[in-house]
Amino acid sequence: MSQLQLEQVRKSFMNGEVEEEVLKGVNLTLNKGEVTALIGSSGSGKSTILSIAASLQPLSKGRIIFDHQNLVELKPEQIRKIRAQQYGFVFQQSHLVPFLTVEEQLSLMLDIAEVKGSKYDKQNEIKNVLEKVEMTHRQSAYPASLSGGEKQRIAVARAIIHRPKVLFADEPTASLDSKKSNDIMQLIQELTHSLEMMTLIVTHEEEMLEYTDRVVKMSDGEIIMVN
Amino acid sequence: MILAWKEIKNNKAKFSIVGSIILLISLLTFIISGLANGLSQDNMSLIKNFPDGTFYMAEDSNNSYAQSRIDEKKQMQLLENGGDSFAFSLQMGNLKIDSNKQKNVSLMTYTDNKYYQNIDNGEIVLDHSLKKEGIKAGDQLSFRQSENSFEVAGFVDDARFNHSPVVLINQKDFNNLFRTQAFQIVFSPISNKDIDGLNAYSNSEFLNTIPSYQAEQMTLNMIVWFLIIISGMLFAIFFYMMNVQKLGMYGILKALGIRTNTLYTMIWTQMGIITVSALISSALLSQVFQSIAPTSMPYSLPLTSTIQLSILFIVVGFMGATLSGIQIKRIDPLQAIQQGEA
Repeated sequence: MSQLQLEQVRKSFMNGEVEEEVLKGVNLTLNKGEVTALIGSSGSGKSTILSIAASLQPLSKGRIIFDHQNLVELKPEQIRKIRAQQYGFVFQQSHLVPFLTVEEQLSLMLDIAEVKGSKYDKQNEIKNVLEKVEMTHRQSAYPASLSGGEKQRIAVARAIIHRPKVLFADEPTASLDSKKSNDIMQLIQELTHSLEMMTLIVTHEEEMLEYTDRVVKMSDGEIIMVN
Repeated sequence: MILAWKEIKNNKAKFSIVGSIILLISLLTFIISGLANGLSQDNMSLIKNFPDGTFYMAEDSNNSYAQSRIDEKKQMQLLENGGDSFAFSLQMGNLKIDSNKQKNVSLMTYTDNKYYQNIDNGEIVLDHSLKKEGIKAGDQLSFRQSENSFEVAGFVDDARFNHSPVVLINQKDFNNLFRTQAFQIVFSPISNKDIDGLNAYSNSEFLNTIPSYQAEQMTLNMIVWFLIIISGMLFAIFFYMMNVQKLGMYGILKALGIRTNTLYTMIWTQMGIITVSALISSALLSQVFQSIAPTSMPYSLPLTSTIQLSILFIVVGFMGATLSGIQIKRIDPLQAIQQGEA
């Protein structure tokens, strides 16, 4: 069974001449078809865990096992390839490319992930994904003309169009109102189940936890509770 | 490639401003280069039209043709051994066009050779530019230096020296006009050969011994090179500024897994599109300028110079854009994510 495992992950920073440990030996496993929520107070280390798990920053000690290989031992180009092809990202803000239409954003992600297939196949894939996020009617729109909720739906579409194994979402509803937040979380949960992705969400909104399958609570760089 | 084009299409104003500045700088460079080339032709077309070979002047001439006097024995030695070698002298003079009008000219005389026609006593051959003064073959003209008159035997093309039309004259008449016997320079189409008591110069070295030519060309070429360097810096600065605005977007794309090379290709493509469009426009405008420039303005921009300068601009632009792109390699995706909307 495909998994992403963090084993005894430690992360420390130098603050002047003092070494500060922000992660103190974290063990975490993400499972297929499951939404795992990371919660905790500000500074608890939840965003650091997500960025380390996504190989966006190096760890100080420990191992990250994905597809039977320790990512810590891989070269930057191999990591890039895994990020492009096996991971999907949804950020706090949509971070769409301002000069590309919705359709082009998704096409660009297919290119980044080096997805093989004819132009026709790719067009079909874009259409399918837009249907999944209910944004077919906005496929020719530029980001500037989309609402906050619509932008985030497109960001979700971009994160899943290349069928990643892992979806990382860092406070994906932070910039949305309550109704739109629920919609986005529901969408992420449905997609995680239907596409059998391992999803790791960082959130501080407790009402969003109903859309997750497992809750991991962090405090002071350690996991203190798993539900 | 598509990414680059899409951005240009969506930010027409921003890229048009960059393109317009490149256009103006390259146009200015083309025009100054055209003037440098035109002035060079106007100044030295006589020497520039010589075949490749060696110019000899007396060792004690201080590298000045005006002070050079070639020893007769050495001249004979060179002419006998040098194939199509010939000796020649140049002096400035004043051609009387009519009773009220004189024209500065450069008089040239030479020994028999295959490059210049023989001139008979009492005859002169003029640069074709003097036709504009209404002079025609068969006219009788005189010089301020002498009361003798000379018959115009014909005209030659592109024979100018020291910004003056050249007058080809018989050796005996030249000697009478300037009261001199010795030749100043020996030209040999054979490559450099050391002769005791003489200094040898290649064609370009000889041109550089002529003070007016050197000073004029050095100044204009310096301006051209400065403009090219400035355009390179402009490229670097413009792309740097544009990249700074897009660092967030680049960081997000890197987080998504885009190759750094793809981002470089994007910058290079944009640089290429802007530069080539600007260069085509400025090359066309410089040709228009050539056709409308007053005839008294020595302007000449051959296609080869335009192409060479354009290639130089593209290389400099490429370097500038690449330099500005170094920051792309250093972008931290995490920082871009934390900074907010791209």
